[in-house]
Amino acid sequence: MSQFDILFQPLNINKLTIRNRIVSTAHAEVYATDGGMTTERYVQYYEEKAKGGCGLCICGGSSVVAIDSPQSWWSSVNLSTDRIIPHFQNLANAVHKHGGKIMIQITHMGRRSRWDGENWPNLMSPSGIREPVHRATCKTIEEEEIWRVIGDFAKAAVRAKEGGLDGVELSAVHQHMIDQFWSPRVNKRTDAWGGTFEKRMRFGLEVLKAVRAAVGPDFVVGMRITGDEFHPDGLNHDDMKQIAKFYNDTGMVDYFGVVGSGCDTHNTLANVIPNMSYPPEPFLHLAAGIKEVVTVPVIHAQNIKDPNQAKRILEEGYVDFVGMTRAHIADPHLIAKIKMNQVDQIRQCVGANYCIDRQYMGLDVLCIQNAATSREYMGLPHIIEKTSGVIRNVVVIGGGPGGMEAARVAAERGHKVTLVEKADELGGQITIAAKAPQRDQMAGITRWLAMELTRLGVDVRLGTSANAAMIRDLKPDVCILATGGTPFLEQNPEWGAKEGLVVSTWDILNGTVEPGKSVLIFDSICEFSGMSAADYLASKGSLVELVTEDIKPGVGIGGTTFPTYYRSLYQKEVIMTSDLALHKVYREGDKLVAVLENEYTGQQEERVVDQIVVENGIRPNEALYYELKAESRNKGQIDNETLFDIKPQPVLSEDTKDGKGMILWRLGDCVSQRNTHAAIYDALRLCMHL
Amino acid sequence: MLNAALPWLLAGFLIVLGAGAVRRISLWRAGRPAPVDLIAGLMAMPRRYLVDLHHVVDRDKAMSNTHVATAGGFVASMALILLVHGFGVDNVWLARALLLTTVVMFAGAVLVFRRRLNPPSRLSKGPWMRLPKSLLVFAATFFIVTLPAAGILPDGFGSGILAFVLLAGIVAGLGEMLLGMGWAGPMKHAFAGALHLAFHRRPERFGGGRSTGLKLLDLDTAGDKTLGVAKPADFTWNQLLGFDACVQCGRCEAMCPAFAAGQPLNPKKLIQDMVVGLAGGTDANYAGSPYPGKEVGKAKGSAIEVITEGLVSQETLWACTTCRACVEECPMMIEHVDAIVDMRRFLTLEKGTTPGKGSETLQNLIATDNPHGNDPASRTYWAADQNLPVMADVKEADVLFWVSDGAFDMRSQRILRAFVKIMKTAKVNFAVLGDEERDCGDLARRLGDDATFQSLARRNIEVLKKYRFKRIVTTDPHAFHVLKNEYPDLGGSYEVLHHTRFINELVEQGRLQLNARTGGTVTYHDPCYLGRYNGEYDAPRAVLNAMGIQLAEMERSGFRSRCCGGGGGAPITDIPGERRIADMRMDDIRATGAEVVAVGCQQCTAMLEGVVEPRPEVQDIAEMVAAQLVDVAEPATAREVA
Ligand SMILES: Cc1cc2nc3c(=O)[nH]c(=O)nc-3n(C[C@H](O)[C@H](O)[C@H](O)COP(=O)(O)O)c2cc1C
Ligand code: SF4
Ligand code: SF4
Ligand code: SF4
Repeated sequence: MSQFDILFQPLNINKLTIRNRIVSTAHAEVYATDGGMTTERYVQYYEEKAKGGCGLCICGGSSVVAIDSPQSWWSSVNLSTDRIIPHFQNLANAVHKHGGKIMIQITHMGRRSRWDGENWPNLMSPSGIREPVHRATCKTIEEEEIWRVIGDFAKAAVRAKEGGLDGVELSAVHQHMIDQFWSPRVNKRTDAWGGTFEKRMRFGLEVLKAVRAAVGPDFVVGMRITGDEFHPDGLNHDDMKQIAKFYNDTGMVDYFGVVGSGCDTHNTLANVIPNMSYPPEPFLHLAAGIKEVVTVPVIHAQNIKDPNQAKRILEEGYVDFVGMTRAHIADPHLIAKIKMNQVDQIRQCVGANYCIDRQYMGLDVLCIQNAATSREYMGLPHIIEKTSGVIRNVVVIGGGPGGMEAARVAAERGHKVTLVEKADELGGQITIAAKAPQRDQMAGITRWLAMELTRLGVDVRLGTSANAAMIRDLKPDVCILATGGTPFLEQNPEWGAKEGLVVSTWDILNGTVEPGKSVLIFDSICEFSGMSAADYLASKGSLVELVTEDIKPGVGIGGTTFPTYYRSLYQKEVIMTSDLALHKVYREGDKLVAVLENEYTGQQEERVVDQIVVENGIRPNEALYYELKAESRNKGQIDNETLFDIKPQPVLSEDTKDGKGMILWRLGDCVSQRNTHAAIYDALRLCMHL
Repeated sequence: MLNAALPWLLAGFLIVLGAGAVRRISLWRAGRPAPVDLIAGLMAMPRRYLVDLHHVVDRDKAMSNTHVATAGGFVASMALILLVHGFGVDNVWLARALLLTTVVMFAGAVLVFRRRLNPPSRLSKGPWMRLPKSLLVFAATFFIVTLPAAGILPDGFGSGILAFVLLAGIVAGLGEMLLGMGWAGPMKHAFAGALHLAFHRRPERFGGGRSTGLKLLDLDTAGDKTLGVAKPADFTWNQLLGFDACVQCGRCEAMCPAFAAGQPLNPKKLIQDMVVGLAGGTDANYAGSPYPGKEVGKAKGSAIEVITEGLVSQETLWACTTCRACVEECPMMIEHVDAIVDMRRFLTLEKGTTPGKGSETLQNLIATDNPHGNDPASRTYWAADQNLPVMADVKEADVLFWVSDGAFDMRSQRILRAFVKIMKTAKVNFAVLGDEERDCGDLARRLGDDATFQSLARRNIEVLKKYRFKRIVTTDPHAFHVLKNEYPDLGGSYEVLHHTRFINELVEQGRLQLNARTGGTVTYHDPCYLGRYNGEYDAPRAVLNAMGIQLAEMERSGFRSRCCGGGGGAPITDIPGERRIADMRMDDIRATGAEVVAVGCQQCTAMLEGVVEPRPEVQDIAEMVAAQLVDVAEPATAREVA
């Protein structure tokens, strides 16, 4: 008996028993290789979830059924060929071995893709209307092509079945071919495939009939739909209820997955994978509305991160299965930890959306905070085993995410670990990042690490500024420097940082500098710090202009995150200006004058403001490193060949008691500015062999 | 003068002894009838005394020798005294033999005396402090008195003042030994003890046997019969007799976990209170440790007064974990647990005063066939991903895996899954009952609800009858005990194995290969229902050994293992004490320096894991084995079986 019993009530979908109510819903992983095959990395990524207890994995977000729906942009799974079948068998076995079930989402993406690569196809859509997010122009699909694509769906479903998967999910969501036909916003046809409700439904119905006929009555066939497109000219919640009921009544659909929002503009796209600025489960009501009209189980995922939340949703009966998709990316052992009464050890997804923002760029999906996710095939562990070798004295300097991860991993290995942090709290730059409006959940990354350090008995020394003498006193076998960096305001002496004319975004977010009444932020980086500082200042009542010489403020931020910044900044009347570099700053009375220069014309203009904030990235804090480097046995060097190969550093095989000094490594921004994931990844791959 | 008086004195004391004995017997006979073979019992008695009882006493070598000398010396002396001084048999050699026996007895009495100089707290004081002196006086006096008969001193020796001194010695000695024997002095134990051995309610325990199953309660209430024991007279007569055999040695007290935890239970005091009850009176003369937190002197009762209305408080009865440590340790082979459960039966079945969550639990058992009131349909949820063969489908299997109510508990499910993984790896042909399984009845029974126990057991037996299997295997020692030892009374006899024994068999047959386990020190906690109840001490250790583990044994291990606090419904009745039993057990574990404590019971796991961290990790042997399996692609980690 446990408070989470409801999560562990098995439930059938068609004849398939799912061991619990938690689902990893379809997401484009960007791991398929060899033309869309589910190879080693792919298999082990899902095996880990199954091992960790996940009830049902719906893999292969947006896996294509036909060659004219390109697969290579997002390395998605390719069901257009029989080559996939043996790969599916590997995948199915790996998941089934651990009691999990696995299905795949299949689709034809229609216009929601790119044509300028792979086979250079003409993209197709019901009425040839351009899709803005992918800048995708397309042709109007013809009757012959319609029937061919319907056939492709059926063949793909059979391949999934022959590969031993437990079912297929037809994607009729995120504006793929099926819901392109549904939506009057995109479907302007007047033939048998458009116009009336029934005609708009016809394509989906024919796909469903063909698939069902091909796979038989017992194989699971589900459908993922939106609960509301949130476009005035699109499908609203009532339309979606009507659609859901229509397909439900065919008796051919075994479950519905429901998500909120359409997806074919940047702004709606952000809703689909709600980042940390959203409240918990923002669109549950839409899924609950669909559940009212259908007779088969309903799955809903969108910002459900916490087992208590999942439990409440299930207990109140809104839906039958809870999708915890990013929650599983962040911690594939989520379910096992619930069962082992280790809920507070769950590495909870913080909604940083590093995963999905990479995916939209066609990069493999990675978690900002869990470097082992999807690297299982390389041997990166989710459970770190104790060493059977020598127990070392490990000293980590710097309690940011990299230093904390290093300390955590070393402590999990069983070493004696001391972590020294200058500030009075752990977290490093994450702590600063979390001070911005709507970004507070960032702190979840380091909060988890801090809790783990306590659990593992790491000796954490806060408010302690490390120096070489102190480190020598601690007599480390291994010393890891993760001392971070400092805002780089000196690059252009004309900015007047020395004279105190400009301040950094850290000064603003940390509150060390009072917000000015009118503020100019010059952001040469265009990622989070500048946007966050602007949002912060505006929320304190400052008049803010955010200026960059780059293409647009925030251009370096991914596709599901910049929209939520923009919503906030526009609402607070922040002016965003691009193509202007900060040339010079000078004081005039009690005001500051910023001289800005147009990147393309060289023309200068001036702004008279109370405060000037510069975001120009950071420079590494490396003084301590250079002080200790000479006396370390490895001269501070990390052997890249072994590091990249996930092998133990050669220096670890030496006996550290031989008087040749300690091992010295540095990682994170104290080497060069990268990001949280980079620091955590290095910490894990270095320390897992300690 | 002495010579003339002695036979009369002896005769007189023997008559008084006889009268006392008759009275005592009549007290016992107030109890309910019990089927006992009197003749066979009497015939077996010497052997039971000399072998079985000696076996228990012999755990304390010094005490054993003391008792052999004193008791042996006394019995032999008494026989010779009757011959030499009673019937006046004039034989120097007899008299010299008597000298020898009194010397032996004296030597024993000196040891008793020495021990009483600084007695451990478990020993009762009061008249028991007088006993060694009486023994010395008895032995010394008869030694001197016998010297003339042995031809060592002249016949006329012992007149005048000396004669009075010796006479006083004789009266004092015989008084303690004979009068006390019949009239409730410390020596009562010899008389009652001997008969108790002869008429013991569990004769199977003698000759190395084991008898631990509770006796079936006759649920027929015709003729206003009370269910269970309300008053001392409701015990069977041989139970009453058993109480009288208590020597107040306090060995039970020293082993009792509830006593150590400061809960209001002391098994020795409880037995003494039963003695007060059977004879009528108060506990004012009790000179041992009290029930923790309860004053001595306030309890009173008689054979026909309700025990829990003045003699023993209900909490005392509900504090017991039924761990049998007292029974195991008792040199007089008294059956504390039977008595406690008998009294609980009355409280639960007649009064409905099961404390704590007791009533709720019993209601759940009645309504849902499981103690937590889980939806019966959820019994198989844990196995949704296990593809277990179910008896209803397969009808027949080598092994019937009795899952137990661990099925409802997430922690226990890890043990179950680990064991399934082991069986699958060893390709065991097994099946489960699935939804047809019910709680085995253990909890209901220990809580005194024999009606619910019998109902659950009968229905389980009905289900089991439908299928063919060679043996039952279970990871739950409580189910193991009940199925093995208590179902036969209801017509269900099976070969039942604990999973550790079964796993050990698989290892021995080469059907399971185990990797050596690396990592820290391991100790093993013997679950009461596996160890003391069923004598299974070796298999768990053998399995651990097969993984290359050298156990760091606890001081209290094997038959002296300390209960985890989880048995007998104690966590449900939840009687407050000063400490928690599980915490004390964890301290035992910590004392070994172990990083992991291996267990073989989900209840122990739950209790020990309830101890606040940091503490050693608790793992069922099945979990440890599942993590060391050779020949599986991946041994099961804790999270995987979660
Ligand atoms: C990296 C990533 C890729 C995704 N790709 C798809 C997709 O291809 N098809 C789809 O239906 N949903 C996709 N989703 C949406 C998820 O299925 C899910 O609805 C979303 O992540 C919200 O659930 P969560 O809050 O539990 O993560 C994707 C999500 C992520 C994080
Ligand atoms: S990257 Fe961020 S949003 Fe994605 S799973 Fe990890 S924590 Fe969650
Ligand atoms: S069975 Fe255990 S708890 Fe109960 S009285 Fe005996 S020793 Fe104490
Ligand atoms: S019950 Fe047994 S162990 Fe306890 S004091 Fe009496 S004789 Fe000793």
